[in-house]
Amino acid sequence: MIISIVLLIFENPSILVTEMTESAMNVISLCIELIAVYTIWLGILEIVDKTGLSEKLAKLLSPLIKFLFKTNDKEIIKMIAMNMSSNILGVGNAATPCGIKAMKLMDDKSGKATPSMIMLLIVNATSIQLLPTTTIGLRTAAGSVSPTDIMIPTFIATFLTACFGVGLTLIIQKLFNRRKKLYQIT
Amino acid sequence: MPILIAGLLLYSKFKKVETYNVFVKGAKGSVNLVLDIFPYIVAIMVMVALMRASGITDFLIDILSPMFKFLGIPTEVSELVLLRPFTGSGSYAILKDIYTTYGVDTYVGRCASVIMGTSETLFYVATVYFSQTSVKKLSYAIPLALICNIFGTVTACLICKVL
Repeated sequence: MIISIVLLIFENPSILVTEMTESAMNVISLCIELIAVYTIWLGILEIVDKTGLSEKLAKLLSPLIKFLFKTNDKEIIKMIAMNMSSNILGVGNAATPCGIKAMKLMDDKSGKATPSMIMLLIVNATSIQLLPTTTIGLRTAAGSVSPTDIMIPTFIATFLTACFGVGLTLIIQKLFNRRKKLYQIT
Repeated sequence: MPILIAGLLLYSKFKKVETYNVFVKGAKGSVNLVLDIFPYIVAIMVMVALMRASGITDFLIDILSPMFKFLGIPTEVSELVLLRPFTGSGSYAILKDIYTTYGVDTYVGRCASVIMGTSETLFYVATVYFSQTSVKKLSYAIPLALICNIFGTVTACLICKVL
């Protein structure tokens, strides 16, 4: 960020402030959109919660979540289960509120990201996608012959990426743990 | 998606949940949630805008394109690969550009579509997700996620070549 400011001062100082305010203004409209979107999804999520569907989902995914996140907290498992399933279904907007809540619950107030928080970030960054809704929509709008053509490649690619990401994270966390243990011994 | 939502509403009727009240109760949280994450989004967006305006983005694309070529990523999608971690709406705009310039059903078009799936608006997600926590140090989270994104992009390109 500092580099870009310095560069801009030399190149074109007049646009620096305009550029900053303009992008902040864009964020305002983005946030208004987000309020609308989150209102709908938080409402729907509350219904999902009250019908007991989220508990069923959590039960279904809990072996996986317990293994990946090393937690037994019911609320955390529920939030992560909803976060993962909305990501897989391509509803990123429903995934975000759940993800934020799960992060908040996993926070240990140490100011450092815990291994399970990092795992959640990686799971989100590499999520499997069954229905890339927005991309399919854009492809249709661009006049594609078969907009859904990319579903299978996307699924395979995201699946491989998810395995890679989760595997790598697990390996790194193992290494960190071992190092910590060595420290404690010496 | 519409079917799922309709199904959910039917199911909640069946379970005798007060759909309306519950919906309102959940929806109430949205304004506060967005207000809380607002400053974080501003910070990240201003940074992206400045990087673009100062030409750093173009510079980075120039530097990284040989590496992308080496990894089998077509140069046409390098701008998408580079900006995708920062901005969701911005990368969809680039995707649209790619569709109009190179065609939707070409290799480049399909490749770009799959890349959209395998990569994530990482910096945005990280800022928003951690905004409600005490976390100041992310340790290895960001580099690790970036490596995963690159892996995803390379796999996407490979799979599009085969399928």
